[in-house]
Amino acid sequence: MAKGPGHKVNRRELLALSAAIGTAGAAEALSRHDGLLGGPSRRYTNTLPWEDGLTDAPDAADAGGWHYLNDGEVGFLTAAVDRLIPPDPTGPSASEAGVVVFLDRQLAGDYGNGAHFFLEGPWQEGTESQGYQSRFTPAQFYRHSITAIEQAVGRSEKGKAFKDVPADKQDALLKQMESGDLKLEGPITSKAFFTMFLQNVLEGYFSDPIYGGNKDGAAWKMIGFPGAHYDYSEWVTAYNKPVPGEPVGLRGRPAWERG
Amino acid sequence: MNIAPPRSLGGRILVAIAAVVVLLILISAGSWLWLKTTQPIVSDPPPGLLSVLTEPIPDGPNADLIRRGRYLTIAGDCASCHTSRNGRPFQGGLGLQTPFGIIYSANLTSDRENGIGAWTPEQFFRALHDGVAPGGKHLYPALPYPHFTIVSRSETDAILAYLKTVPAVHYAQPANRFPFPLNIRASLIGWDALEFSPHSFHANPAMSPQWNRGAYLVEGLGHCGACHTPKSILGAEIHDQAYRGAAIENWVAPDLTANPRTGLGRWSAADIVQYLRSGRNAHANASGLMGEVVAYSTSLMSDTDLSAIATYLKSLPPSPSHPSPAPEASAMRTGSAIFFDGCTACHLGGGRGQPGMFPPLQGSSVAQQNDPTGVIRLILAGTRTAPTRTRPSFQSMPSFAWKLSDQEVADVATYVRNSWGNRAPPVDAHEVAAIRSKLNLTHPLTRDQR
Repeated sequence: MAKGPGHKVNRRELLALSAAIGTAGAAEALSRHDGLLGGPSRRYTNTLPWEDGLTDAPDAADAGGWHYLNDGEVGFLTAAVDRLIPPDPTGPSASEAGVVVFLDRQLAGDYGNGAHFFLEGPWQEGTESQGYQSRFTPAQFYRHSITAIEQAVGRSEKGKAFKDVPADKQDALLKQMESGDLKLEGPITSKAFFTMFLQNVLEGYFSDPIYGGNKDGAAWKMIGFPGAHYDYSEWVTAYNKPVPGEPVGLRGRPAWERG
Repeated sequence: MNIAPPRSLGGRILVAIAAVVVLLILISAGSWLWLKTTQPIVSDPPPGLLSVLTEPIPDGPNADLIRRGRYLTIAGDCASCHTSRNGRPFQGGLGLQTPFGIIYSANLTSDRENGIGAWTPEQFFRALHDGVAPGGKHLYPALPYPHFTIVSRSETDAILAYLKTVPAVHYAQPANRFPFPLNIRASLIGWDALEFSPHSFHANPAMSPQWNRGAYLVEGLGHCGACHTPKSILGAEIHDQAYRGAAIENWVAPDLTANPRTGLGRWSAADIVQYLRSGRNAHANASGLMGEVVAYSTSLMSDTDLSAIATYLKSLPPSPSHPSPAPEASAMRTGSAIFFDGCTACHLGGGRGQPGMFPPLQGSSVAQQNDPTGVIRLILAGTRTAPTRTRPSFQSMPSFAWKLSDQEVADVATYVRNSWGNRAPPVDAHEVAAIRSKLNLTHPLTRDQR
């Protein structure tokens, strides 16, 4: 998946993957406000409660500062996400689109805390199809993984950090992570990290801009996705025509603002 | 203390002048109270209320009287105000926001100490007809005795007979929160002198029996004017503006006259019946305060009476059309974008709506009220329709307060009020900010978070 020497990054492959993965990050953040996650169970009889003005509003990323990541992690992630999605004429790089901000906010929140994971033992090595198997929350998992990767990179690259090695070498390292060939000290495999990392990068690049990534809807413009429309029934019969207008996020689009 | 209202002309004028002076001083204090005490509207039905209103009344010595009394109690929508959110049916204690303070509804159950269990039919008639409770205690006109005054003695007797069968709840409502001197009930003598004289219903022989039945219900037990008629500075209905619509508790009770834009001009009598029976028709859905009226009153009334109400309402002369300044082009442009992204899912392009489900906005009288309070409130807080026997499912509109800035709410409201043939005064961001504050709703996300 990473861009190797003599190999142009294939954006179509990324897009196909993103479609398969969906928007797990976004759904995760939304669930925070329903009061069910980690809270006592509730029973409703007769009718569901309703209160005017009460909203299950999404947990919007705020501007400025890092909530979870330290400087070294920001350096690693900024370099790594931009090898997965480098800038090109069709769209911004991952870091330009805010993916590192997205990752930081997700790791600082319920996703990073593993609020929806079962994190008790026994911790056995699962099968491939069983997905994430770790005693770590995703936030801990990122921290341990990046530390171990930087140690491995430092050993092979004369003490350099990942962000300071040449791009083709970064690509080679990412490929080793993808295959699991990059051996790390400790309980984490580079393959397990790469799997989660790639998924989160795609989520961040194509997420609603409200979560920090996909700045200005750039990724949606690139693929012609109209955004957070509730309903497409008006366009159902307009076959093979783009939906009109610029993409709209949960928080709107520039045309909402007085010029 | 039993104070008889002064009936001599000189006495009435003196008391009236005193009352006006005092009340004018209190207006600003009253507005402040209103702002500080607004509670979120919760539309969960109070437990058990609907079954009390609908379960068959068993045969017995007074069964017919009690059944008639319950029907009249329903026609008067007594339950909506006299049942608090989690209270037992008719126990009272619901705080009503008025521009002058909060008044808590009375216990109407058969409890002898706090309710009407010890009341005589004469006392009950005096309360509804004259606005005077046992012991000469003057009632605040939040109890709409200016309407109930026309209810006949035989009907008040039936209502009391029914209320005496409502299980007693030993509960006393909180003390009203009025500033001095409104907290002195004798001050109401002045109000009554100015604004009220007890009277009976006189049928208009020139009109049909159906029209007269409608007039009796609308003007009397139905007390529609209590919300739908603009109020004077003293909180009394302005009779020459009857049914032209008014703001109430951060809603607008719409114009009910034949005005085709703001009123019921485009509704047929059958549309009105369908709305009152089911809570929905091709033009509008009932929610908020009107949702309660439909849920606990009109949806439980007979089609004959609903048709009579419709006949009377359709005879109201149209309110005058007010000139409406043209909206700014920039507001219409941003409003159009917000409408396209945020509203068309339910209300569809062109504001066509999905009649019976999501109200059309093209031609909507709710959208075109001169006072934009109701539109602003709907966008900011959302609402849920009242469930009825014929339309038992809920329809809800979500709150947009978290998402739209005051300017964005203003612009989309202006757009809806001035598109597809609609015309109504543009909405200003400051009006939105004021209602957002009164409703105690969250501030929207900042631009950085877009």
